[in-house]
Amino acid sequence: MKFLALIKKEFYRFFHDPRLIVTMLLPGIVIFLLYSVLGEEFNREEEARQYRVYLVGDSAAAEAIADAAKENGDGVEWLYTDDASAAREEVRDGKASALLVFSENFDASPAGHVDIVYDASDETSTAFYSLAAAVLNIYGMRFTVTAESVTGAEALGMQVLCNILPLLIVVFVFSACMSVTLESVAGEKERGTLATVLVTSAKRSHIALGKIFPLACISMLGALSSFLGTALSMPKFMGLSLNMLGTYGFWNYFLILLLIMSVVPLIVSLIAVVSAYSKSVKEASAYTGMLMILSLVLTLVAVFVPALGNWTVAIPVLNAVVAMQGLLAGALPVWQSLVSVGVNLALTAVFVFVMTMMLSDERIMFGK
Amino acid sequence: MQEHEEIVRAENLKKTFTLSKKQQKIERTGERRRVAVDGLTFSAYRGEIYGLLGPNGAGKTTTLRMLSTLIRPDAGDAFLCGHSIVKEPQRVRDVIGFMTSDLKLEGFFTPDYLFDFFGAMHGVEKAALAARKRELFSRFGIDQFAGVQVKNLSTGMLQKVSLVISIVHDPEIVIFDEPTNGLDVITAKTVTDFLEELRRMGKSIILSTHIFSLVEKLCDRVGILLNGKLAAEGALETVAQGDLERTFFALYEGKGGTL
Repeated sequence: MKFLALIKKEFYRFFHDPRLIVTMLLPGIVIFLLYSVLGEEFNREEEARQYRVYLVGDSAAAEAIADAAKENGDGVEWLYTDDASAAREEVRDGKASALLVFSENFDASPAGHVDIVYDASDETSTAFYSLAAAVLNIYGMRFTVTAESVTGAEALGMQVLCNILPLLIVVFVFSACMSVTLESVAGEKERGTLATVLVTSAKRSHIALGKIFPLACISMLGALSSFLGTALSMPKFMGLSLNMLGTYGFWNYFLILLLIMSVVPLIVSLIAVVSAYSKSVKEASAYTGMLMILSLVLTLVAVFVPALGNWTVAIPVLNAVVAMQGLLAGALPVWQSLVSVGVNLALTAVFVFVMTMMLSDERIMFGK
Repeated sequence: MQEHEEIVRAENLKKTFTLSKKQQKIERTGERRRVAVDGLTFSAYRGEIYGLLGPNGAGKTTTLRMLSTLIRPDAGDAFLCGHSIVKEPQRVRDVIGFMTSDLKLEGFFTPDYLFDFFGAMHGVEKAALAARKRELFSRFGIDQFAGVQVKNLSTGMLQKVSLVISIVHDPEIVIFDEPTNGLDVITAKTVTDFLEELRRMGKSIILSTHIFSLVEKLCDRVGILLNGKLAAEGALETVAQGDLERTFFALYEGKGGTL
């Protein structure tokens, strides 16, 4: 009864304040609009392109790239060669769109990789690169890029943007958790309203859980909003046909959702602990800002360091980002995702316990 | 009802605080530790009002905070309705109502919502809670403000709301830290009248104050607290010796205090 009363109070506080609701749901709408507009810009209908692409080695992936181009109304002319240097010169001179170099026995070897040489200053060459990178991403293939005349942000291409999606999800999740948790825990402590609850006969563990559980549910709304915004804008953003998007099956989306659902209570409980420790919302915001930067560094590691390895499942937040990257690349890292969820939830339980201890500590609760 | 049933017993309560560098600077002191309460022993009985009288910094609020289990004593113990504040803090919180200016109500909520919330937090049944709300809201004139957000209430009304919420669960012991501080004369009268009513109902009240007239008007027994120690304790007539104020300052100067 006491636990339920605490939970109901947090929900009442949130659902009776339109400003909080807007703050929570806005990120998802922003993501949807942003990605949709970006996608439109990236994939604006243009005249059919005819790509001239040199090919060293061979792979079924080349066929997939050609099919994808065909679905976009473009065509690919494959120019088979063994002289990569000459082909590279032609790309540089604008006589060819790109050069793909498949490693030996690419399709059979798990360590196989593709070199893509393209000209970032040339629109057609960049368009081909985006297409090839997206296809290779979805097929979960390893590839490296060698770009000539790299001139700006365009050179980042779709590969990096795909990697950044989990990072953005983490950022929006963190923001959602921050906006409600700081106010509810640090704010209540600062205003003295938390002490009024502490003088009731409710157990400290119930008070801790009675804060964290509803705040996690509310933050989940924000996270779901971001997730839906991302998922719904993805077709436009990726510029891929719906057939290719079909590669993201139910389980891909389900596991991404599960990962988000494990990160939300983890971050909420962490911010709750920091907020309970802090003397004011201002102090808690400063600490939480540092935690957010730490999370961003972790996610950036996942973006820029390829093939991190299985040890990442032990690192909270990073584990979810790496698993989401795999899922977005079309792979289905089930065990990695589930272990990550388990690790995040176990750590959440630890933070709930820590907060319970803090609520019982007079130096933390009432220290000047 | 048993005559002179001991309902609160404090035994050698001690509390020391560590002063932060900032506090040391503000108070212009080099001492690292401050003894707030030093071996406090007293008893309060059912159906009486016990007053802790003392100047600022004497240890009154610290004592009440220990009794209400918000902070733990460094040594000693206290028993409220037989429950130890050290070993059974949760049981103690069941039998007390604590009101102090440090405990605030969230401005977003209405008195109506908060009464129900704190009633649930104390495990009060819904029907009993509804009846008690009707009674207390009517008694304090809160009923017409029941749906107004706390942040929009006047100071006096807020104090009344805080008061009724602190006793939502009809506790055996009511602990008030400076009950009339900051109140206008009308609200202060309402509060003191209610404390007397609570006493008639057999409740025990422990209050802290530095107002002599309040002690003389309300208290059955009084403890004069100076520098964390009880300088005098007993029935009001015995301690006051005809003039509480004169007795207090005699004790104060006797302990080295200067005016």
